[in-house]
Amino acid sequence: MSHKIILGFAALLVPGVALADWTRSYVIEWNEPAMYYGAEGGVIDPGSDCPQGTNPELDWIQVLMKAGYTREEAEWLRDPANPTRSPVHGQNQMAFRGKDRANVYTNPESYPDPGLAEVSGKVAEGINLDGDKTTGFVSPDGEKGIDNTFYKTLGCWKTYRGPERLSSGALQFNDSMRNGGWTTVIVMHGRGDDPMNDDQVDVGFYMSDNDMVKGGDGNIARDYTFRIAPHAHYEAIFKARTVDGMIISTEPADTVMLRDPGYTRDLELRQAQVQLQMREDGSLRGYVGGYRPWRPVYDGWVNARGPVIESLTWVELPSVYYALKRNADYSPEGANGEKTHISFALRVDALPAYVMTPDYRQQAAAIKSYKALAPEQKRERQFSYTVDGVVPYNDPNLKAGPDLDVLLSKQQHLSKK
Amino acid sequence: MSKKLENKGFNRRSLLRGMLGGTAVTMGLPILDAFLDGNGKAYADGARLPVRFGTYFWGLGLTDTPAGGTRWVPQKTGFGYDIPSELASITALKDKVSVFSGFRAIPDGRSNLVHWTGHASILSGVAPPRTGMFDGPSFDTKVVNAIGKTTRYKVIDVDASTSRRPISYSTETGGTFASPEITPLGLYRRLFGEGFQDPNSDNWQPDPSIMLRQSVLSAVKDQRKALMATVGKDDQIKLDQYFTAVRDMENQLAVQLEKPEKCEACEPPAAPEELPHAASIDVVNRNTVLMGRLLAMGLACNQSRCFNFVHTGGTSETYIAGESKIYHQITHDEPTDGKLGYQPKTSELAGLVMQGFGDFLAEFDGIPEGDGTLLDNCLIFAFSDTGYAKIHSIENIPMFLAGGAGGKHKAGQHIHTTGDAVTRVSLTAMQLAGAPVGEFGVGTMKTSNPITEVMA
Amino acid sequence: MKILRRPVRAFAVLLAISPVAFSIAAHSAESPAATGASAQVTVAARRLSESEYRHTIEDVFGPDIEINARFEPEKREQGLLAVGNAMLSLTSGGFEQYFILAADITDQAFDNTDLEALVGCSPKDASGADPRCARQFITHYGELIFRRPLTEAEVEARLETANQGAEQTGDFHHGLNLALTSLLVAPEFLFRVETAEPDPNNSGAFRLDGYTKAARLSFLFWNSAPDHELLRAARDGELHTEAGLKQQLDRLVAAPRFKDGARAFFEDMFQLDGFENMVKDPAIYPKFNQTIANSAKEQMLKTAVGLLVEKNRDYRELFTSNETYINRPLASVYNVPYGSAEEWMPYTFKDDSERAGILTQVGFLSQHAHPGTSSPTLRGIKLHEIFRCEPTPDPPADVDFSAVQASEKGTARERLLDHMENPGCNACHRRSDPPGLALEHFDGIGQVRKFENGELIDVSADFNGVQLDGAKGLADYLKADPRVPACLVRNVYAYGTGLKTGFRDEAYLAEQAEAFAEKGYRIPALMQQIANTPEFFKVHIPEGVALNTDTTGNAISDNATINNAQNAQAQR
Repeated sequence: MSHKIILGFAALLVPGVALADWTRSYVIEWNEPAMYYGAEGGVIDPGSDCPQGTNPELDWIQVLMKAGYTREEAEWLRDPANPTRSPVHGQNQMAFRGKDRANVYTNPESYPDPGLAEVSGKVAEGINLDGDKTTGFVSPDGEKGIDNTFYKTLGCWKTYRGPERLSSGALQFNDSMRNGGWTTVIVMHGRGDDPMNDDQVDVGFYMSDNDMVKGGDGNIARDYTFRIAPHAHYEAIFKARTVDGMIISTEPADTVMLRDPGYTRDLELRQAQVQLQMREDGSLRGYVGGYRPWRPVYDGWVNARGPVIESLTWVELPSVYYALKRNADYSPEGANGEKTHISFALRVDALPAYVMTPDYRQQAAAIKSYKALAPEQKRERQFSYTVDGVVPYNDPNLKAGPDLDVLLSKQQHLSKK
Repeated sequence: MSKKLENKGFNRRSLLRGMLGGTAVTMGLPILDAFLDGNGKAYADGARLPVRFGTYFWGLGLTDTPAGGTRWVPQKTGFGYDIPSELASITALKDKVSVFSGFRAIPDGRSNLVHWTGHASILSGVAPPRTGMFDGPSFDTKVVNAIGKTTRYKVIDVDASTSRRPISYSTETGGTFASPEITPLGLYRRLFGEGFQDPNSDNWQPDPSIMLRQSVLSAVKDQRKALMATVGKDDQIKLDQYFTAVRDMENQLAVQLEKPEKCEACEPPAAPEELPHAASIDVVNRNTVLMGRLLAMGLACNQSRCFNFVHTGGTSETYIAGESKIYHQITHDEPTDGKLGYQPKTSELAGLVMQGFGDFLAEFDGIPEGDGTLLDNCLIFAFSDTGYAKIHSIENIPMFLAGGAGGKHKAGQHIHTTGDAVTRVSLTAMQLAGAPVGEFGVGTMKTSNPITEVMA
Repeated sequence: MKILRRPVRAFAVLLAISPVAFSIAAHSAESPAATGASAQVTVAARRLSESEYRHTIEDVFGPDIEINARFEPEKREQGLLAVGNAMLSLTSGGFEQYFILAADITDQAFDNTDLEALVGCSPKDASGADPRCARQFITHYGELIFRRPLTEAEVEARLETANQGAEQTGDFHHGLNLALTSLLVAPEFLFRVETAEPDPNNSGAFRLDGYTKAARLSFLFWNSAPDHELLRAARDGELHTEAGLKQQLDRLVAAPRFKDGARAFFEDMFQLDGFENMVKDPAIYPKFNQTIANSAKEQMLKTAVGLLVEKNRDYRELFTSNETYINRPLASVYNVPYGSAEEWMPYTFKDDSERAGILTQVGFLSQHAHPGTSSPTLRGIKLHEIFRCEPTPDPPADVDFSAVQASEKGTARERLLDHMENPGCNACHRRSDPPGLALEHFDGIGQVRKFENGELIDVSADFNGVQLDGAKGLADYLKADPRVPACLVRNVYAYGTGLKTGFRDEAYLAEQAEAFAEKGYRIPALMQQIANTPEFFKVHIPEGVALNTDTTGNAISDNATINNAQNAQAQR
């Protein structure tokens, strides 16, 4: 029950704390796209969300043959003894299955839509972004109008599907974050006397360069201090109010950006809102929602090495491309009506923490932008070693490409042995 | 000290010069079995068997389940632990193997470099900043420098994985890794080919550095009388004990200049057959048995005291023959079976990989030595790169200590912690193997706290 | 000053309890005098502690030398390792470690340095022996390592090692390497061999020789071997003169390394052992990890050195002052923000924090607690033992602990009540528990809590008839308690001399405690003051030593000490 709370009078005693009515601060210890799992158990089982269960594994030999490779070629390409499966189990040649052996990762429309089963259930987590109760899903608690088309589109894909904290994507990226990959803190500041019910609350999401620390039980420890590290892009500020400890946006934020727990890295959200519950034990839980551009999502998976992602997550990436494009539901200003964005919600779990201003002098209380203080930040691609979704390989014996003679390379390999 | 010798060109010629110069003690004809470490069981006549040390690495950990269960952590701790399914292969030898669970690598703010941070932390005590290097030496080199300097080879590095590139995680500098033997034949030639001296023959070469070590002690001993002349009773008892310790050290050195016990277990083997060049698990395991057998005999014949063995690399490329997916891929893409609660194929492969370890140990246990087996005089530290490979977890990384370390290892126990640093097990291994190391690791993983439960 | 009406008797009590303690107090007057022995008498051989070893190597060879070794366990006597070490020898396994370590250190020294800078001269021919240059090298390093000039025989022995090594290896420097190794495994290095010589000013009596005095001083003030200047002062006999000694004492305290010395003393006196092996139940204390344990120990040392040495404050403030240092992990346990980019920052606990002085730091509170609960008894026992020099005897063997161990009900006070009432237990528990109960607002890792198992925790206590309320009450009590500074005085003396203290030292220690009080309880001044008394260098001729005079009784023996002490007392 130790809230990081500074009441007004305490501010007088503590030099360095800016005038604040109340402030609470947190560190995000887990976050994942809010993907409601409709099955009773397991991770891929059929459920109300995906009656066929998670999209099943593909027969890659069939996929390659459909793309024009002979059976012998396809079998050799998938054979573990084939050294061109290097540098890891990815198979670069798999990129070249579009029309005229075009690279399907960079040119998905060179390939017919293989199809991706979508969520058919009625229940979803997230926020009613458009205020319309007649559109969207019903929340697990029965709230109507939940907008989360991202979930509808990709919720049956193995990457995202699974019970809370157990889908492969959630595990992978949170494990990385908790081991020091990045840190996001939340500061909230209200002007009323009662933090649980306050009409004027500001909420800020900031990056910190202090790592989370695991305690003796292996979980993230609470009450650690994090300094706001001004970031040129990753920052989100919301106007909100609290009702019985639930923080709800009072107006959407036009554009915010957070660190994505995924290969996309940039989680840009238009018309963004929060819905976060302050809980008895001092923790915070809820959603950040908004409309995110869908193309970077697709590109994130491609850049993470298309063939590897396809093999591991049981998907043909072009199907992800077509599905996102098909379901996109938001067109921001300047897009000429093109639906470039898709409704999305990030589920956030945060622990009480101390958050300091960038100069370490005081606990952050005023919610403001620190972007102006940020060093110049290049938004580097996460996978600098991939080009067009594959890892360029210098070894002439391990080449891949539109012109590769698969069987000749097989013979060369076998004769060398 | 022999670092100096190497650097300064201490060779047979300078030894000869020393002897001709009349300063060297007279030696009987070439002898040498040197043991610096002073560990090991005593023969009836007082000579002792040395402790041998090795590392054994396999890739991709063992199987955990997201809900917190596991396919390899015994339920019971201490002696007489139960055998979960993935440990089946060590059943016969479990009284000689200690299991360590619940230990984790703590990167202290550095990223978890997948298939690298885990074993880099175990070996170097700190998570490295990037793949392909460690911040410092791997700890096996500390053991090698303590106990490996007096045999023909300080250490033998072996890679049984038939991977695209030879794999070794042993490094003196953190930058350059050892070049392992990658075929049974190559290993055979190294150990028993040209230059092999059968310890049971009479043709011996002495180690000249031992005499130099003796001279260090003789200066100390010279002063004994002067010191003892002026002390009171209590101090005399203390200093007597000190000089007894000096004498023990001298004896250790003197034994090394005497003709050693014959290595009764040493039977130089015939050259092995060539195996098919493939990375499937059946071939890797056959490689492991063959190379383990050669290695064990190499130790029994006193060609080396130390080894590093790689069964499969961090991103293991092994697979079940006839199937199209490799183990690495399966660990990531296979979903947890809702009913079983774990990844069935992954677990099956983990069991097969562990079969290699069990068979490897059996080779060491099959060589009689003293009143036990070679394995009883070995300490083999086995470990992997990850815990739950599906998510590249660096928690609950499986580790084992096999062999009795000449009686120093209270083997056959299961030690479980909730998140202690992996370096505690590394430190334990170093100390059991006889390395003079009191502290290991950097930052949160720094420890001077070995696992005393397994130390006699 | 009236606070010294009660002399420090605590370790007198210990002497009565422990029969072993008498061995050192045994009088030497009965020792038969031997004739014809050396004029020198070895009065003690104290095993070098791990930190003394490390500091000495660093001072002689520089900070880059890595010391990879496993040191043999040390042992506490009368609360101090410094006293325990004076009674220890080493085992064969321990020597083997020193032997490997010495070779490793010399290899590093010869690997990493410009050889001429290291050696101090160049051989005529680097491929063979050069006795002249070798002698220079051995003499130079010998003095730093043995803490005194080598005897000719000692030089000769190493010279032979060096020459033989050079000849055999064809490498002059390798010969030196071996000679240096031989110095590092010698008993004269691994033990602090303390010697006495006939006192020219007091016929028939003995005094510590200059080098022994120099080593006592440098280990007390710097936790390391004497530097060149101290060795020079020893050589020139200056340490036997009042002015010469004073000059060195001023220099010792003024040097930055004095902080190292004070730190080593605090680490020993505060008994900061076992942090490496501290176990806490992660289900109960999820925040606790090894970093917290290490930081907690470091905090106590930083606090003591900062407050008592850098700021030179009244020792008693250690128990009341809330000025300390924290790092980020500790801030999470104290549940305060960490406002610095540095690894450590100065920090003052707020008045409403319940914290008061060093006993309310995570280090003391977690070290003296159980894995899953606090322990008023352990905390109380250690408070008495460490800070008041009042050890508690072991509990009787037939105690039923079941009531105390059932920690899932009520508060610790209720559970301990049984002991306070039980006639077999209450003699000790009535003494040990009250101060511990005053600290009960801190859980097993030192986090503030007001409730235990849903019940409000009462932190009032009756301590020697004084009613205390909580940690602050305890702090105020300790600040006024004359045993606290008197205990410190005893520890400084015993730490510096390596000697157990007993009845015979009471008067001297009382006198020193009085002076300590008069000077405002400043530790640097106290160390100087004690090192400036004849008792600090007093010669205790050990039993069985072969003296070369027939005037044994005139050597300053324990009889004489007692007489002096009685005189001193009578004068007051």
